[in-house]
Amino acid sequence: MLRRETWRHFDYWLFGAVLLLSVFGIVMIRSAIAGNAELATSPRNQTIFVGLGLALILVLAAVNYRTWASTTRLLYTGGIVLLIGIYLIGDAAFGSTRWFEVGGINIQPSELGKIILIIALANYFSNTMDDPHNLIWILKSFGITMGMTIWVLLQPNLSTSIVLMVIWFSMLWISGLELKYILIFGGLAVVVLALFLLLVVNGVKIPLIEGYQLQRVVNFVYRDPNATHGEQYNIEQALISIGSGGWFGAGYGNGTQVQLRFLKVRHTDFIFSAMAEEFGFVGTAIVMALLIFVVIRCLYVARKSMDTFGALIAYGIATLIFFQMAVNIGVNLNVLPVTGLTLPFVSYGGSSLLSLVLGIGLVESVAAHSQTLDF
Amino acid sequence: MNRQSLEPKNEISRGRLLIVYVLIGVVFLFFLVRLFTLQVVQGEDYLTRAVDNRTREISVTTTRGQIFDRNGIVLARNEASYNVVVTPANLPGDEGAIQEVYRRLSDLIDIPVNFGNTEAETVRNFTPCQTDLGISQIVYIGDSLAPYDPVRIKCNIDEMTARIIQEQSSDLAGVSIEIEAVREYPTGETTAEVVGFLGPIPAIEQDYWENLGFVANRDKVGYAGIENYLNDILIGKNGSRVVEVDNSGQILRNLEAPIEPVAGNSITLTIDTRLQAAAKAALVNWMERKSLQLGRPYTSGVVIAMNPKTGEILSLVSYPSYENNRMARLIPAYYYNQLNEDPHKPLFNHAISAEHPPGSVFKMAAAIGILNEGVVTPDQLINDPGKISIEEKFFENDPNPRTRDYVCWIFKSGGSHGDLDFLGGLSQSCDVYFYKVGGGYKDEVPAGLNIWRLGEYARALGYGQVLGIELPGEQNGLIPDPNWKRITVGENWSTGDTYISTIGQGYVLSTPLQVLVSVAALANDGKLMRPTLVKEILDSEGNVIKPFEPDMLWDITKDPLIHVYDENFFQTDEVKVVEPWVVDLAKVGMREVVVSGTAESIFEDAEIQTAGKTGTAEYCDDIARPLGLCVSGSWPAHAWYVGYAPFDNPEIAVVVFVYDGDEGAILAAPVARQVMEAYFELKTAEKP
Repeated sequence: MLRRETWRHFDYWLFGAVLLLSVFGIVMIRSAIAGNAELATSPRNQTIFVGLGLALILVLAAVNYRTWASTTRLLYTGGIVLLIGIYLIGDAAFGSTRWFEVGGINIQPSELGKIILIIALANYFSNTMDDPHNLIWILKSFGITMGMTIWVLLQPNLSTSIVLMVIWFSMLWISGLELKYILIFGGLAVVVLALFLLLVVNGVKIPLIEGYQLQRVVNFVYRDPNATHGEQYNIEQALISIGSGGWFGAGYGNGTQVQLRFLKVRHTDFIFSAMAEEFGFVGTAIVMALLIFVVIRCLYVARKSMDTFGALIAYGIATLIFFQMAVNIGVNLNVLPVTGLTLPFVSYGGSSLLSLVLGIGLVESVAAHSQTLDF
Repeated sequence: MNRQSLEPKNEISRGRLLIVYVLIGVVFLFFLVRLFTLQVVQGEDYLTRAVDNRTREISVTTTRGQIFDRNGIVLARNEASYNVVVTPANLPGDEGAIQEVYRRLSDLIDIPVNFGNTEAETVRNFTPCQTDLGISQIVYIGDSLAPYDPVRIKCNIDEMTARIIQEQSSDLAGVSIEIEAVREYPTGETTAEVVGFLGPIPAIEQDYWENLGFVANRDKVGYAGIENYLNDILIGKNGSRVVEVDNSGQILRNLEAPIEPVAGNSITLTIDTRLQAAAKAALVNWMERKSLQLGRPYTSGVVIAMNPKTGEILSLVSYPSYENNRMARLIPAYYYNQLNEDPHKPLFNHAISAEHPPGSVFKMAAAIGILNEGVVTPDQLINDPGKISIEEKFFENDPNPRTRDYVCWIFKSGGSHGDLDFLGGLSQSCDVYFYKVGGGYKDEVPAGLNIWRLGEYARALGYGQVLGIELPGEQNGLIPDPNWKRITVGENWSTGDTYISTIGQGYVLSTPLQVLVSVAALANDGKLMRPTLVKEILDSEGNVIKPFEPDMLWDITKDPLIHVYDENFFQTDEVKVVEPWVVDLAKVGMREVVVSGTAESIFEDAEIQTAGKTGTAEYCDDIARPLGLCVSGSWPAHAWYVGYAPFDNPEIAVVVFVYDGDEGAILAAPVARQVMEAYFELKTAEKP
């Protein structure tokens, strides 16, 4: 297992970029706590998460990813059990039940679910590569996805559900989804959306969608000029933070929006804005480029993979990272409504980091085992 | 069929992967462009907004100057008042802890935790300090308006409670004590008509005050009295600080050097509070006593005492007045409405703003006029048969003159004065004497003083103009003339108009202050001093920055104020003075009033030598007319008395006016005597 060949093909560029982003994240969180006593332990915690996370990457890289293909069924069942478990017994926090506490660390089963779904879908699509890519084939993959997603949606956790659906669609597409189905799905989506809007406008309460989620969307589409507090306030302050950064930023620890706490949730959802204020356009562009590099590198691993299963895993992880990053930055730049998605590797939080390092570990495994064929 | 195990092969589509790359590239580029737009293109705007976020300009309250009386007694000062405030944003995080804070606070300040509702109507009518809502409701309203601004829960708590709340601050998160400077008037109602009161910056003047650096709803401005008229001296100048604040509104540091507030200057008034109290008591007690005796109400009156040589107002009583301490914190609507709707106008300064017919006290103007113009000689005897009839001519050669009777006041009791010389006419206040010399009478007085020349002498004594006392709302009275009548009444001037104007009736109007000043000017040998309430202006440390300086407006014996009229009563360019002997004789006449004239009985056993003039001014106004009191022949009348003492070296001049007081000698003169006696008693008491 720990053969020299493993480390010869280990993707040091990818690992390096992740390391760089994670360390930068710790540094940025340290600035973003801005004297808030409740967050004082965050940099230390994040350092521990990153340390553990990097170790996890190395461990996963050493394990042949093909092992996971044979245990897909087990992983998938385990994931669903955890999600149901959280639905039944989890702690209520911020109105939605999302995590287990394991040894002081909060673990969100939905984060594990992302990785499990990627493995499960990679397994399904690689096994059915030669089957006709008809509606049955699509519906089966949809069934696998929904089996997982339904529990996340029930928490309710809309943003993660969307991530799961995006992963499914992205992997479906790379596996050869025919154009006519895309058109059919597209048309269907438009009809469903129109129906949904019609119901909302008529004040019909839609199950599984909480009031605050709708409010966020409404705030984004139609800005109430009187709404100076609350949601609108957060996004306004984020824009001011980003905009005031200029070319080179206010300097580390000098951003007034961050340090005087005008910017809210600045160590998690809005850490991008904090970074933009203190490091400016140049610094932010570099971090964005680094994130894109991680995505590209994952896709590179996917391309170089010896088999479809590995390629689909790497591709799925790339999708996950890119989508989370794009949504988070989009929210910060006020081109998307507010969601709870964090900036990969940079934002504070052990749970979101967990799924990311698991993902990177898998990608490294694919890279490391791309030259060795052991059955 | 598992090909993977036989012949592993990467089957993902390169073409589709390429599209993914393109998509990533597009998104990345879009984000870069968006980031560039925000940070570089619009960077300046956002930077300004970031600076605005953390920068706050704070107005630092200045201290309003104090007001003292001439002996240093405090008439207006600033007192610390303690208000309980809650800053909604600083309350504890969870609802249970908030309720606990409310319960503790409720026990301390006796305001229920929950009372009333927070419906739109309640919120609209909400006024801090003036509400019976519970703590939760007040905080709810405050939170919805400005969560980082403290909202007042209870105002003006005692110092002890304030200290207890401060000591328990660790258990009362979000609760704090606000110390507010509140104006206090230790002498209250005694000096309210002089000192006045403060109020919030009126909406209509908001821009003006804000340009001067004052803050609406916090800083107060003078609404009445000295507080209003000399507001600019008292108010000072607010300081300002530009500070950096964090998101919770907490002040972190000064961004610019702070501008310290400049405290307002203090004012020492010429008022002697003791004399003021004595004068008010004398007036009110006498009015009440006479009310009981004569079985009719006396509702309002005025006493003003002044040093005729310097113009210093020693006391100024306008009754009824109000309690200015009730306006100190805020102006209570019910009290203000009550004052405003009172028919006797407590908010109105009767001493300077009320214009009434002066009656016989106005004869002093006619008296110096007839002597100075040589209408009669002092010894010339004029006959008073009690009643005279003249032909009322509205113009020269009026073909249909109306014959009208003009009676002397003594005629009402069936008598007459007989032949009177100047001193007799003045001391007996003989109306017929003044009719004849004022308007002319047949061959006895071929040419009277005439209304034009009467006006000249009246104005020289201060009638018909604003004299410049430091109080808002001073009125100028009215000296009528034929032009005025034609324009205003639409009728020609008649001989009878001159007759009744000469005795201060008809269209003539004056304020009590003017009556006082007219006699004070004569007492001061013709030197008319501007009546003033301000003795000294002090800086905030008590140093005199403007000492007292008597302000002589003019000297009628030196300044040629009297226009000379030709035989057709057209004004010429020639001007002249009032001869000093005329002034002297007028003084002797006023002395005769208290020795042998209309006020003889009132002053007969007085220790001090005084001089004065009574007045009973018939009137018919908006109050009397509906009551059916305006009956020809027995009109209602105001009581006047104006006098000074000591006769040879005057120190105090006093005017007393009692609205609807009828006989001046009965209602007004005794009050004047009491005020003069109080003055000399106080003076004696001061001597070691």
